[in-house]
Amino acid sequence: MGGLEFSKLAGFISLLVVFLPFLSFVFIIFGKKKGGENLALFNISLAFILSLSLVYLNWNKAPLHYQLNWFFIGEIEFKAGILLNNLSLLMISLVSGISVLVHIYSRSYMKNDSNIHRYWAYLGLFCFSMLGLSISDNLLLIYLFWELVGFSSYLLIGFWFTKRAASQAAKKAFIMNRIGDIGFLVGIMIIYGQFHTLDIDALFGENGLIISSIIKDNFWVYGTQQIPEIWLTLAGIGFFIGAMAKSAQFPLHTWLPDAMEGPTSVSSLIHAATMVAAGVFLIARVYPIFDPLVLNIMVFIGSFTAFMAATIALTQNDIKRILAYSTISQLGFMVMAMGIGAYTESIFHLTTHAFFKCLLFLAAGSVIHQLHHYRDKLGLDFDYQDIRMMGGLRKSMPLTFIGMCLASAALIGLPFTSGYLSKDAIIISAFEWAETKNGLAQILPYLMVITSWLTVVYICRLLFKVFFAKSKLLTVNQIEEIKDPPKNMSYVLVVLAFFCLFFVFSLHPFSFENSWLWNAFPSSLIQKNDLFHWLIPLVLSFGTVVLSVLSYLLYVKRNNIFKSEQNILYRFSKREWYLNEIYSYVFTSSLEKTSKFSYWFDQKVIDALVLKSASFVRFISSISVLIDKYLIDGLVNAMGSLAKGIGRLAQNFQTGKLQQYLATMLLLVITFFILIYFL
Amino acid sequence: MIPLSHFLIISACLFCIGLYAVLTKKNAIQILIGIELMINAGVLNFVAFGRHDKINGGGQMFALFVIVLAAAGVAVALAIILNVYKHFKTIDSTKIDHLKN
Repeated sequence: MGGLEFSKLAGFISLLVVFLPFLSFVFIIFGKKKGGENLALFNISLAFILSLSLVYLNWNKAPLHYQLNWFFIGEIEFKAGILLNNLSLLMISLVSGISVLVHIYSRSYMKNDSNIHRYWAYLGLFCFSMLGLSISDNLLLIYLFWELVGFSSYLLIGFWFTKRAASQAAKKAFIMNRIGDIGFLVGIMIIYGQFHTLDIDALFGENGLIISSIIKDNFWVYGTQQIPEIWLTLAGIGFFIGAMAKSAQFPLHTWLPDAMEGPTSVSSLIHAATMVAAGVFLIARVYPIFDPLVLNIMVFIGSFTAFMAATIALTQNDIKRILAYSTISQLGFMVMAMGIGAYTESIFHLTTHAFFKCLLFLAAGSVIHQLHHYRDKLGLDFDYQDIRMMGGLRKSMPLTFIGMCLASAALIGLPFTSGYLSKDAIIISAFEWAETKNGLAQILPYLMVITSWLTVVYICRLLFKVFFAKSKLLTVNQIEEIKDPPKNMSYVLVVLAFFCLFFVFSLHPFSFENSWLWNAFPSSLIQKNDLFHWLIPLVLSFGTVVLSVLSYLLYVKRNNIFKSEQNILYRFSKREWYLNEIYSYVFTSSLEKTSKFSYWFDQKVIDALVLKSASFVRFISSISVLIDKYLIDGLVNAMGSLAKGIGRLAQNFQTGKLQQYLATMLLLVITFFILIYFL
Repeated sequence: MIPLSHFLIISACLFCIGLYAVLTKKNAIQILIGIELMINAGVLNFVAFGRHDKINGGGQMFALFVIVLAAAGVAVALAIILNVYKHFKTIDSTKIDHLKN
């Protein structure tokens, strides 16, 4: 009895968590414009505290699941409900926690923006949809929130929609995400066709429908229901395409760097910590559906994306673009980890990444913020996001510098940081996985190691160019005038920096297996190999240290070495593997050509046909006019004029002249007599 | 003795002259004169055929009656013409084309 009441309470609290940000959206959009930031901050903080209380109540316990009837289609019943397990608890506390920090940060960062109330409202909408996505218990509901997440991301990327680049980027993000949504929808439809339910617990839970269905003779059999095996693969690919678009994996990743046109705080919340994690979250939610083929595709796409994005990040000059590619690269790690079956490692990395990438973005944001203000004060004109313009900010912005350093250390996986635990866990799993495979799969872990080292180089490049190297633009005195950002922003950096350290996740600095987070999820089935567990972190850390020193020499001592080297590789990386150009050539311009052709076809063929038939009709009608005019009317007129003529004739007799009458009479009489006489 | 055909020719001539006058003249009095001429052509015929009548003087008797009646008719006609003149201020027969007013 008591258990029942408790579960009701938990359900109520989780609903409250989801709807609090929605309330702030509604109130700010439809209500007063002033003071939106307080309402938004209050609601999201409350949501955060409530989700923490949910974690406290229900962490590592049996999943809670409530359903209500939602709607009927004929006999078929659809249910809506809440599913609280460790994964969704982790997600809601992560999302609401980072949202709180970003809300606080934005109070200073977005100050004096004239449309600030819209900003708070959109943030509320985003948090609502992201939290709803996390706790929904069925695929249809997840799909709804999934779309809402895409939409609110569109609104936030295009927040400064008067900037052409921002509105273009928003459109690009939206369209790219739509491509993924189609995959997701296809997956949902296949699942529904096979099992007639969309309930996640029933489908993917322990002893769920997916696990109890079997593959027999190339058929995917469940009970009496059987469809060809290919549908299982297709469903997996569909869900993966959905995840690819949201998590910016290789063919669909180009929207994420462009999305940096939005405010930096938004980039940090949505495009680094939470929304892009939704793809990985989806993979985790529907994990049992993926068959080995799809998992291999996942490994391939993920590792390729990680490598590619890391090489691109090497040469970018926009501070946010570097971080965006870094995000893509890290998401590639997570997807790859999902593919090799390192489910827990992937979730672990998702969590640690959310914190340190958020910190990286917010630290970059405070650099941008301070430089922007300084630029406006001096009336100078330079690109305040270009790392070539920065330099030497180490002393003038110490707090930001320390935050950035810690986050970078976590990103490259230096010991004693959270990144060390999660990233090395993934690479160790990759090695263990490769042990069981042959051929190409052997390359994978080495590719990951190389990517990890590339990460070191690009993040060191950023760090050294911004904080160590001599500024090309500003003098030393000028740089000293730049200060750390306002309190709101600085405090957030400090809190996030705390979360980059190992002890938040594991009391043992070198063993991810002791982490509370790692133990909260089912451990992977990959064969353990103890050798890897101490060798790989050692090699990685050693390489990291060496590369950091090399980068220091490269970028601080001789800081223009790459500028002189305009070789092919440099350009290839600088232009982001020419993917935007390829896409615009293959898709956009072919689309344009197609539409031009159809315009031409429309103009020359369809319109011509219409015009021709029009003139044909006109010709026919001119004939019928002639017929009408001369034949029909002619007949009528002829009758008329005949009557008229007869009338005229008769009229002539009626002259009213007696003498004429008399003469006529005489004539007739005479004629009569003549006739009688002669005939 | 004058042959009958002469009378008839003269009478025919008279009739035709009268007829012509009736048909062509506009003046009502002239028309009346034409009518008288035609009557007299008839009277002449009566008298001419009276010679061959079995009863003596029958033709002449008819002629006398006709003359009297014609005289009476002329009197009536002239009276009508006078009244017409009073009413229309003209005796031009072509212009008199209203029965009343």
